[in-house]
Amino acid sequence: MSLSEETAKHHNNDPAVVCCMTRAGAIIRPADLEDPSLFGELEDSGLLDLSGNVLKIGQVIGAKLIKTLNAMTPITPDAVEGGAGTAEAANNTAFAKNGQAGDTAMAVATGTTPGGTGGVVNISIGEGHDIKFSVVLGGGAVTAVPAAIKTATLKYEDKVIRTLKQREFPVEKVELGRETSFEDGVLVIKEQLCSDALNADPLVKKVSLDIITPENKHVHTNTIMDVIPIAVKTEGKLGEGITHVMSGAVVVLTGVDEGGSQVHEFGSCEGYLDEKIRYNRPGCPDEDDILIRVHVMIKEGTGMERRGVTAAHRACDAILQKIREVLKQAPVAEAVIENVIRDVKRIGRPRVVLVKEIMGQGAMHDNLIMPAEPAGVGGGRHNVDLGNVPVLLSANEVRDGGIHALTCVGPSSKETTRHYFREPLVELMAEDEEIDLAGVIFVGSPQVNDEKNYVVSRLGAWAEGLELAGAIVTTEGFGNNHIDFAGHIEQFGKRGIAVVGVTYSAYQGALVVGNKYMDAMIELNEHSGGFESEILADSTICHDDAARALLMLKTKLAGIPIEAADRRWNQTVIEANNKAMETNKKVVDIGER
Amino acid sequence: MKKLFRILLRQHVGNPSIPLVKIGNNIEQGELIASLNGLGSNLHASVCGRVAEVSGQAIVIEAYEEQQKNYKPLSRKGDLIDVIKDAGIVGMGGAGFPAHVKFAADLSGGLVIANGVECEPVLAHNVKQLTDHPELIYKGLLYAMQAVNANKGIFAVKGKNRRAVEALRDVIKDRDIAIAELPDIYPMGEERAIVREILGARLAPDQLPAAARAVVSNVETLARVAEAVDFNKPVISKHVTVAGRLKNGVEPQVFLDVPIGARIGDLIEAAGGIAGEYGEIIMGGPFTGKSVSLDDVITKTSGGILVTIPFPHESRKMGILVCACGASEARLREIADRMGSPVAGVEFCKQVVEIRGNLKCENPGNCPGQAEKVLKLKKSGAEVLLISNCTACSNTIMGIAPKMKLSVYHHTDHVLRTVNHSLVRRLKS
Repeated sequence: MSLSEETAKHHNNDPAVVCCMTRAGAIIRPADLEDPSLFGELEDSGLLDLSGNVLKIGQVIGAKLIKTLNAMTPITPDAVEGGAGTAEAANNTAFAKNGQAGDTAMAVATGTTPGGTGGVVNISIGEGHDIKFSVVLGGGAVTAVPAAIKTATLKYEDKVIRTLKQREFPVEKVELGRETSFEDGVLVIKEQLCSDALNADPLVKKVSLDIITPENKHVHTNTIMDVIPIAVKTEGKLGEGITHVMSGAVVVLTGVDEGGSQVHEFGSCEGYLDEKIRYNRPGCPDEDDILIRVHVMIKEGTGMERRGVTAAHRACDAILQKIREVLKQAPVAEAVIENVIRDVKRIGRPRVVLVKEIMGQGAMHDNLIMPAEPAGVGGGRHNVDLGNVPVLLSANEVRDGGIHALTCVGPSSKETTRHYFREPLVELMAEDEEIDLAGVIFVGSPQVNDEKNYVVSRLGAWAEGLELAGAIVTTEGFGNNHIDFAGHIEQFGKRGIAVVGVTYSAYQGALVVGNKYMDAMIELNEHSGGFESEILADSTICHDDAARALLMLKTKLAGIPIEAADRRWNQTVIEANNKAMETNKKVVDIGER
Repeated sequence: MKKLFRILLRQHVGNPSIPLVKIGNNIEQGELIASLNGLGSNLHASVCGRVAEVSGQAIVIEAYEEQQKNYKPLSRKGDLIDVIKDAGIVGMGGAGFPAHVKFAADLSGGLVIANGVECEPVLAHNVKQLTDHPELIYKGLLYAMQAVNANKGIFAVKGKNRRAVEALRDVIKDRDIAIAELPDIYPMGEERAIVREILGARLAPDQLPAAARAVVSNVETLARVAEAVDFNKPVISKHVTVAGRLKNGVEPQVFLDVPIGARIGDLIEAAGGIAGEYGEIIMGGPFTGKSVSLDDVITKTSGGILVTIPFPHESRKMGILVCACGASEARLREIADRMGSPVAGVEFCKQVVEIRGNLKCENPGNCPGQAEKVLKLKKSGAEVLLISNCTACSNTIMGIAPKMKLSVYHHTDHVLRTVNHSLVRRLKS
């Protein structure tokens, strides 16, 4: 595909290859050149050999061809005269590859960071009356701070909108007994609760419950439908007031239907509990957590339907609610930690959102938004019933259990209820003082393309209305939902809003769609082979992924180009990026305060 | 048995004409038998005879054994445009656009281009006419210039047709009329390609040459204009090239003034008849022609009748690449089907745009690069390609596909093989 003027500029420093026969005497134009984004595949097919001394696109535009070249011939110095055809020109382009030349071209994708040269880039952030900032790169010494910064009158202000106290009560032991109680770190669960839970829904046929201690995890499990934190409001509504949370114990919901089919089985993690969970991921139990396993058997054949799955969650929630009641009464003095978290409006900083794409295709692909109790079921609205349209929650609401996940995608990229409860991206973005997190937008991924377009355009309206400077878009699973994912990113990109995408792709989920705004992507694959494993939360967002995503967003906000990623999934890129973050904590500052 | 001539009511851009005759009417050659209806053209009897059938599609004339030499002349009335309209002249290069509408433009000093490029391979009737009867075309060009108020005229001819160029030089007496010699690649004869080559103006796919103050008209159309003006002759015949697997040999045979409505089978018989088994009969050129049957008839836009060798058999999965300068997706699927190949995927050249239901090329004859499309077709499972591209794009594909171990068929292959013409493949660099 020959290039447009605009695309050619982006590829200034990529090899120049003629797309079609180009005659001697022609002045080389972008339209004569092949698109470098195809080179990987073309090289693989044996079509293209770029190993020789090939000139860069920036060097050949405007040069005169002195011999006729056939389609797919790389342009070498002996084929042209004139133009910017010198080696020097290539090194001076703004889009220089990292490690070769560019002081200003930071490439997050390959993990290298600008050498500590302390280069200063002047940037402009639309928010705050278009005042110019300077971005300090590489953490090096600032050699020159423009005077404008010192005299800037822009006011930076943190305005606390709401405060939430989360009191943490450690659980030392869990046992079954005659009455539910919680005293001195011992949680007793009334055995009878299981038969009471049958009343939650007629589709529920059997409920059982067992306690699995950390040292005794080699037990068989049916598909894990969810991991649910135990938390209860004691004051206020979700996102504000006081919440009691149990630490050291977590509920694991598993399911099977009467016929023995695994419930919501799009890839099952049936097996042994010690093998089928990637412990310590945000959405998983931690290594030393006590697991309260609630196992629900539902009516045959309803395991792949929304009603069956919802019934299982309701039954589990009925049991949890009894535990919440005793947790609510726990004496404040027994709390070991009191976390105070705040929704803050950071005036003067770039306004950004986190968009979390959630499944919205009916069946078991559904989430409950804003239940009455943290991470609960009752009172929540199904995003499918809301038409999958984007719903905005504050960071505090999300961190207080504003999402209950009924989702089933493959186990390894599935975000459980606990994932939302301690989503690292929400935590990082809410606490970061360089950005102003306007909120977390949850948007469903409908099945029908028309509905997808509808939902995607509604998100675009939010983006515009909120006057955003940046956004991070995440999605779980892969395939169909990547269509929405690309659509969401485009909504931001086409409005000039800096946007970063976060998803599992690797080999198995390689993106089926794309657009030109998908230039900053975070790969969530954590599996060495690049596959969607059948291990719970194996490839979901971890702290490191979140940190990379946020850094990439800030890089884009600072106007620094992101280097293109390798064409194929390559774990070393991720590792190099993580290392770069470790060794150079402060890669990008957005402005002086 | 008496010969039947089937004159189609729609042989032009626009609405079908309205029959003016009834079954049993005896009519003269040249008599008006259907009138234009809005955008369209008048139809005249191409032979004398008796009306045998009138339907919504056609008027069928049973020709007398004895045909008179003279046609019934147009009743002379009105100005130049009226004469062109009365004569039922349409774009006879294949487009069929009513000439009285095209020539009603006022270019205020622009340019009329006589299109004698004949860029489809095999076809030879335009060049033959240029070589043998250049004076008629020259006159037609002068009339067209007068009609559109142009002050320049240009003959566009492929430089390789030396005899045609020489013949034209002998008749041109006006200093404002020149000859442009164009390179021998397809689709040089496409009107936007001609305008680009001659005037350097690149027209958008939905723009007419008038946007560059030009009118492009096929040479046969111009000759018909001269005939109408000088001899009061309506359009009753068409110049046709017949070629292919014929008993007389594969060389193109030019038939001048074939009566409109003549059965293709009869024309092929006149050319010697089909030699043995054949693949299909194409009406038009190898690139844009359509498969027809022996019972189809000549219209005002028929140019070539090509009898091909049987289709090659191909059982590998086929990737189809559609180009606006060549065959449509439907035509390519038809060819794939007749070759026996399942279609694995269809791609459109990047420069294809759809304008009012027709495919147009954004920049005819200049390749936009085909690597992405070939990669996509390979990914969709194609093992061989069937392409319909112009010369430049075919050259690009040939620089790519074989290296990717994809064999390439061009949809003109079976036609060009028939006449021992070199296939549309790589250009010599």
